[in-house]
Order: sequence, then structure tokens, then C-alpha cells
Amino acid sequence: MPKHIYDVIVIGTGAGGGMAIKTLCEAGLKVCALNSGRRLDPDKDFRNHRMPWELKYRGFGDPQTHPRSQTDFVGDSEFVQGAWENEAAYTQAPGTKWGWPRCSAVGGKTNFWGRSSTRFGDIDFRAASLDGHDVDWPVTYDEMAPYYTRVEKMIGVASTVQNRPSNPDGSYLPPMNFRCFDRILQAGAGKVGVPYLPDRIAQLTVGHDGHPACHFCGDCSSGCEVGAFFSTPFFLLPVAEASGNLELRTSALAKNILVDDDGHATGVAYVDRNDRQEYEVYGRAVVVAASCLESARIMLNSKSRHWPTGIANSSGQLGRNLCDHLYGIAASGYLPQLLGQPSFPDNVSDSSIAWMPRWQNLQYPHEEKFIRGYSVYPDGGCWEFPAYHDQIEGFGSSFKLEMKRRYPTPVSLMTQIPTLRSDKNYLDIDPEAKDSYGIPKARIHFQWGENDLKMWEHAKTVCAEVLHAAGGVLEYAADIPENPGYSQHETGICRMGNDPKKFVTNRFGQTHDMANLYVCDASVFLNCTDKPTTLSILVFALRTSDFVVEQFRKGGQ
Amino acid sequence: MLTLAAGAATFPGFSKWTFACGHVGNAVLQIRPASYQPLFFDPQEYALIERLADIIIPADSTPGAKEAGVSEFIDLMVSRDPELQNSFRSGLGWLNLRSTSAYGKPFLGLSSSQQIALLEPLAYKAKFRKGEQAGRDFFDLLREYTVMGFYTSEIGLKELDFPGLKFYAESPACPHQDDPEHRHLPAPKF
Repeated sequence: MPKHIYDVIVIGTGAGGGMAIKTLCEAGLKVCALNSGRRLDPDKDFRNHRMPWELKYRGFGDPQTHPRSQTDFVGDSEFVQGAWENEAAYTQAPGTKWGWPRCSAVGGKTNFWGRSSTRFGDIDFRAASLDGHDVDWPVTYDEMAPYYTRVEKMIGVASTVQNRPSNPDGSYLPPMNFRCFDRILQAGAGKVGVPYLPDRIAQLTVGHDGHPACHFCGDCSSGCEVGAFFSTPFFLLPVAEASGNLELRTSALAKNILVDDDGHATGVAYVDRNDRQEYEVYGRAVVVAASCLESARIMLNSKSRHWPTGIANSSGQLGRNLCDHLYGIAASGYLPQLLGQPSFPDNVSDSSIAWMPRWQNLQYPHEEKFIRGYSVYPDGGCWEFPAYHDQIEGFGSSFKLEMKRRYPTPVSLMTQIPTLRSDKNYLDIDPEAKDSYGIPKARIHFQWGENDLKMWEHAKTVCAEVLHAAGGVLEYAADIPENPGYSQHETGICRMGNDPKKFVTNRFGQTHDMANLYVCDASVFLNCTDKPTTLSILVFALRTSDFVVEQFRKGGQ
Repeated sequence: MLTLAAGAATFPGFSKWTFACGHVGNAVLQIRPASYQPLFFDPQEYALIERLADIIIPADSTPGAKEAGVSEFIDLMVSRDPELQNSFRSGLGWLNLRSTSAYGKPFLGLSSSQQIALLEPLAYKAKFRKGEQAGRDFFDLLREYTVMGFYTSEIGLKELDFPGLKFYAESPACPHQDDPEHRHLPAPKF
């Protein structure tokens, strides 16, 4: 029997893979998508709308699998089961403290993402020309803007037009409303001279394109069972499946990319996690979209006679240039104005309603002691769990009363600081460690850089000023930021660029070495910016997918 | 289903609360026994945990830790984590030793005011005493788990008037439109 050959094999069904699958299937290409985990049933698997006392361990998780001593992310929570990997697929070089949560469910992290969705601009794409560090992206904002508009229309983003020099505006649904603490912090930020504005959030404040409006229950990160925010299982995969052109294989853990005698990609080898046997699937083109680190791991593990250091790695840059967002609580405390006031539904998005977009180095690239810039996400108010308890002394009725008085008052300001590209930060394959499927593990080498830590110190100073100017009381600022990997915004490692000697892919996400191998996730980004990654993953994946369709139309694949 | 049934059969159930879903997403029918059978603590230890939780969050004008079944929650969490077991068992031991050396009786044998006099140096920085670091560490841990158990119970979230997990037609907006800095709010309710 002749072997079946699909048009395109797509590894991964998250933001990048989902967009590729939808675009390719709609264009009439036959697609086989591999996903390492199972398909979720939102009605059963998303335990949102549940009060903590309805869960056995009250939402803290079973201490046997989430022990107190383990503070890093360990996989599934009590609200979602069977979506996240509990096994680590990586080791760390000495001194590295990277946390790598992997969501293997169909749709990946889009099931549970933070939904903040802001455009990159020329201030990001041309940052190197402005400040002299590293290189420019091989694209311009004018080129990308139409794709941002298409994606925003597809997914629905709520915000306002803000005319910020760092942030191109898009087309938006009505914004989320500001809560009491937003308005108090906004007044404080105004006094300090930093912006405090509605975030750009992919949460449907009104019904959009057949998707229902949000009901503001506030349990988004447990998954939304009505699909009132963008995720690929609700927004993209149904379109692909309706086309009749998609075969989705679940529990299919991609191992390596197959090549023919000439070294061209012919398909993908994967392990079926049910029977633990290895299978092969063949296609005229392969799209790698397994999420940044995993995509590089698969490509580095794809060694052959032609590709002794990993597929499409003639530049030697595969796995290099790992960038991340430095997240940390720059300031937290409480607003005495709200002490003893009635509780208010502040947690209606489980994420950021407001943000403080980049305000540094806008007039001149070297205004500050660091280059580039960062943004800050504020949060606070009446959340489900009163985490401020450790700021109140004592016990008894006085303690109980103070807990109640403080309930509407907590606020915190969290940084989103981009790291600069560095030779020290990269991923390779651990020569000794394999995962339970026998696949060699990645090994991560990562340290915060001097510029990142300067921004962190700057953020702590300014955020404390904002809190004070708002009349708030500063109680806590983290000494050190969260561990790298915490933001789940890793980028780099298959960077795109025009020079085949220096970059893994070209400006369309097509590998320089091989016309029928593409990368569709944040690994093609040159670096992190002050903005989150998902919207831009969708945008670059859409552009790459259009390019793939064009290659097929021209008969090149 | 089989694993679930087996799990439910070995779990004795809480006397103060039931949880609605099992670990594979299906509803579990639970029997609420009249009295709770501790999974980890022995009866003396369990009685001590119950008393301490009650002191930390007492019933006053509203119900407290006892009514919310906090000691059952603490026992469940501790039963699943060997590190917690060590900390709790040695902490309870420390407290009884301290009580015996001060008053010649274990903690539960003391009057309420004696119990509070023993706990205050562990709970307030201004009252800290030398040589009681182990006791302070234990009190912090115990208070943390009491807070975790209380403010995740139906009683505890009612105490805070938790406003979430409700449905709204639009995202709720600050009601004090004329007062951006919130300097002229009505007098505090509490």
C-alpha cells in the first residue's frame, strides 16, 4: 500500500499551530495536526463556576502532588485536570532556574491564557536601529498592521484607542470598565506622570462573530466553557474541522522531523502516548508550532546525516538567543480609602483589566539607564482568596475583623520586562537525560541580564511612587523577580532574519535551509518586547500560513 | 469510575462540609458522618488543632473556624504531605511542652486566658520572647492553614461577602464616578 501523504503536517494546536491549521484547511490543503495531549471537554474539564469549598483540596491542590515545599509550577491544578504535563522535559544548566510549564491539551495555553493582546510596533521591530543593540526584525509595522487587524477581527479584543507612541492602536470592542482601585491608582499614576489605561484584552465584552459575550464570572484561567475569550478550540479548530480537511491526532507526541535522502522534510515521527509506539506521518510540508522551547527541542532532536546538529541548523543558531519576560511584584500593598467598604466584584476577568504601557525611553532611546522599556500590570480588590492575611498580625476577633476590613483594599503591580538577546541564554539537548518516552530532554541555560535587572529596580521605584501617590500603603516588593519561565512568554531560538548564516528562518517563518519546513510560534521572534506574545504569535502565524498557501498555489511544494 | 468508587469508599468524609466533584470531574455522593475521623492526627492532637483554630478565628457576631470545619481541612491537607506532618506534630509538641513548663498542664488543660497568654508572644512582634522561634514558626504555619481552611469555606467567603463567580451583563464599574480618588466615600461598614 502506498503511504499516505498529507499536504501539511502541523505540530501543535496552540496559538501558532491553531492559526496555521485553520488558514491551511480553509485554503483547501489537507492537514494532519499532531497534538501531544488530549482534547478537553470544556463542560467536564473546566471546573470554573465552582466555589473553592466544592473542591476537595479547596483549589490548593492535593499536597501529595503539590507539596508545600514545591513552589514552582507542577502541572495541573484542582480546577483543570489532564491538561498540563506533570513531567519535566528539560534539565537546567548549573545556576539556571527556569520553570517550563507545558500545556499539552488541544489548544495548548490558549485554553488558559492571560488574554492581554497588544500590537508590536516599529519601536519594537526597529529597536536595534534606535539603540544599537542586536539587530532589527526583518519586518516593518506597515507590513504587519493588516495582519493585526485581521487577527483582532477574528478573536475580538476589548480596549480603547490610546495614541501611545509605544503602542499602535487597533480596532477594539468596548473596553472593560475600571473598578474602584483602578481609578484610585490611575489618579496616583497621573501624579507621577505614568500612563494607567484600559488593557487590550481578548475577552468579549460584547458578542463577537458568533461567539457569546463574557458573563464576567472571573474564573478565566480555569478555562471558559462558553468560549467568551479566544482559544483555538473555540475559535479556530471548528473552522478547520468544518472544512473537512483536518485530521487531528491527539496523544501524538512529536519526536523528530523525518527527512529524505536529500535532507528535505518528509514528515514527522511521533510517539502515541496510549500504546507508547512510534509512528510516522508524511506531508509535503511541515509546520513546527509546538511552543517556543519544544519546537527547538524537536528540531535539535531531528539529527540525520544531512543535519548532524539538528534540522535546518546550518546557521548554528537553532536554540540560541533565548529571551523571556521578567515578571515580578514590583510593589504591593493596600488602599486605605477602601478599608471597611462593601465588597465589589473586582475579579471579573482573572487577569488584567488595566495596564501601564511602556513609558520609558520613548523620546530618546537612551533617556534611562537601561535601553528599551517595560510595562506593568496592576491588579487588586476583592479576590477569591484573601492572600493579604500575612500582613495582619495576631488572632481572634480583632484579626477576623481586620481581614474583613482589608478585603476590598489590596493592590499589586507586576512587571513585564523584556530581556535582551544574549549569547549566554540558550537551549541545547542534554546528552544524558531522556524523558519517559525515551526522547532526549532539552537543557536550558538562562540568567537575567544587567539591562533586565536595571529595569526591575526602576520599576520597583516607580511603582512604589505610584502606590504612594494614590494614597496607598506599600507593604511588599519582591527582592528578586519570579524565576525565568514564569511568564510563559519565551521567545527567540529559531529567530527570523534575512541572512541565512545568522538566522534559522526567513522573514516568513520558512527555514532558510529547507523550503518545506516552517516555524509558527514565538521562537521566530527576535526578542521579547514590553508586550505579551500571543496576539503576535497569531499574527506571524497567519502571515506564514498565507505564505505556505501561496507556495502550494505556485506549485512549489 | 472504578478508581473513583474505590477512592470514595476509603474516604471517611467531612462532618462540616462536602465537596461537589471528584478528581475525575464527576459528582461524588458523600455521606456526612456525625463526627469526623481524623486521617492523620491522633484524637488529642486533633482536639488541640480544633481549639487553636477556634482561638485564631473565633465565632463572634459571625461563625468561626469551628463551624466552618477548619480542623477537618487542616487534617486532610496534613495527611497528604509528610513535611507538613513533621511541622505540625513537632509544633503541637512544642506548644504542650511550653504549656507544661509554664503552668504544669498541657495546653488543653489551661483556662482560655492562660491559652491566649501563651499564644500572644508567638503572634505579635512586640511581644516576642527569646527562645520561642520554633513556637512562632509553628503559629505562623497553623494560622496560615487556618486562614486557608476558613476563607475557602462557604462560611468564610460569606464572612468576606465574596462577590465573584456571579454573572453580569457588563463588567462591573466603579460606582463612585464623581470621586476618582475615593476620598469622600461613605463611612466604613466595619
